[in-house]
Amino acid sequence: MSTASWVLVTMESWRGAFAAAQPLGAITAVVVGPRSLADEVADAGPVEVLWLDPADGVPAEAYGSPLAAVISAAGPRVVVATSDPVGRVLLGAASARLRAQLVPRVVGLALDGDTVLIHRAAVSGETIETLAGHGPVAAICDADDVPLQRSGPAPVNRLDLVAAPMVLVASEPIAVATGLEDAERVVSFGRGVRAKEDVALVRGLAEALDAELACSMPIADDLGWLEKSRYVGRSGNHIKPALYLAVGIAGAAQHMEGVRGARVVAAINSDPDARIFQTADYGIVGDLYEVVPALIAEVHK
Amino acid sequence: MKAIIVYKWARNAADAVVRTDGSIDWRNAKMSAGEDDPAALVVARKVAADSDGALIGLTVGDGDASWALARGVEQAFSVSDALSMADNAATAAVLAAAVRYLGDVDLVIIGDSKENPGVPVALAGDLGWPALMGVHSASMPAGQLQATRRVGEEEQTVSLPTPLVLGISADSDTDQVPGMKELLAARKRPLTKLTLAELGTAPGDLVSIGCRKPDVTRTRVFDGEPAQAAAQLVAALRAEGVL
Repeated sequence: MSTASWVLVTMESWRGAFAAAQPLGAITAVVVGPRSLADEVADAGPVEVLWLDPADGVPAEAYGSPLAAVISAAGPRVVVATSDPVGRVLLGAASARLRAQLVPRVVGLALDGDTVLIHRAAVSGETIETLAGHGPVAAICDADDVPLQRSGPAPVNRLDLVAAPMVLVASEPIAVATGLEDAERVVSFGRGVRAKEDVALVRGLAEALDAELACSMPIADDLGWLEKSRYVGRSGNHIKPALYLAVGIAGAAQHMEGVRGARVVAAINSDPDARIFQTADYGIVGDLYEVVPALIAEVHK
Repeated sequence: MKAIIVYKWARNAADAVVRTDGSIDWRNAKMSAGEDDPAALVVARKVAADSDGALIGLTVGDGDASWALARGVEQAFSVSDALSMADNAATAAVLAAAVRYLGDVDLVIIGDSKENPGVPVALAGDLGWPALMGVHSASMPAGQLQATRRVGEEEQTVSLPTPLVLGISADSDTDQVPGMKELLAARKRPLTKLTLAELGTAPGDLVSIGCRKPDVTRTRVFDGEPAQAAAQLVAALRAEGVL
């Protein structure tokens, strides 16, 4: 049976995207990855799971074009994918075949008669805009993972597709500093720290809070004040401590990607307009050279 | 190898104003270099140099198109009457039409934007080319294109066919700001303006039917004397159960 909405599952955090598609009716799911992932998705109650298991050493993106042909042959009204690179590439190929309108940062979908209502985060998430889609719609979904009711299991049918000539030639583990990955608390510093000898001040705060010490990328990469295995950010450590305390860090998007999993983010910065104050839970606007000693004293009280 | 670097293809969301009712005032938000554009240009120049090939800049809209010309790109094209659109496929259709217009292109390199992450992939879809996103470096040793990206806790190197679209994610937000010499050189480099009519494309956009403010908790900021602010922060963190 062909359904009006399709969901592409390419990563473990797929439930938010699936839930976003549910108000539109019955779902066909395409799962790219291990069989266990396909079975998990089958339990969420799609009509069918089409499962694609990429060949060894072949990136999933290599199947973009043949998978797009499968999806466009079914002619769905809406295709939803997660925002990971693989999900987006597969969606981009399918979207073009369907001549769909493509909206990123979608947080919810609804039907109003023949119109698909697309709720999306706009202006860096400062507002939620509703767009009206009259033709096929492709949505990159940023909705948070939610628990889904078991309903199920749907049949899992394997897709055999021919890959484009992309080959994985090397795969290296990224160095992670011992203790940082599982740390409960992390104190991290950036360019607000003016000299290498001042690192001791921040280290003192980390010790007072029983926290691991980390830094932003320029501190490790350009200045070498801390080992490279200790920087947090897009290309460095991705950590999820209960507390992330950022000292003298401006809060570039690349940095904040590394602490997306943190429960509480606190920041100390002398610039009240620093970007980190847009995402932190708590902040102190002030000179870190005064605030850090005050914090150490307060913790020791 | 004929490579295209796509730059300044979206408005800077930081310059838009969200009014109290959630509606958006885009008037002051011009097309500007995205945060991944400088990194994309570095990768594009590296691949072009490795392959001894040509690198052409491509931009859309009303921004200053000399950005790439002042950063070492020898020639650029600008689709100057293209507007920024909510539909990422429509923006991609304009870029794809320009790539086809330029002809015989082997590689398109574009910033893998966080604000508009659908444009690079829709561009690949429109061209019917394979694509790889989230890439942080690429090279062309011995005539074979290779790109490196992070997947989970691994760094993967992938060997790729052409034609191809590569989406570049910047590791940091650094830009090599050009000096006076480069700015002067940029003025002499050819910048060709194209129109949507010349490209034979007339994209339509999605209709916005309203905005609302999301339910967000703002940062609780403590200011005042360091000792007092420190005491307030420590109390707040203890109340959260994280100290």
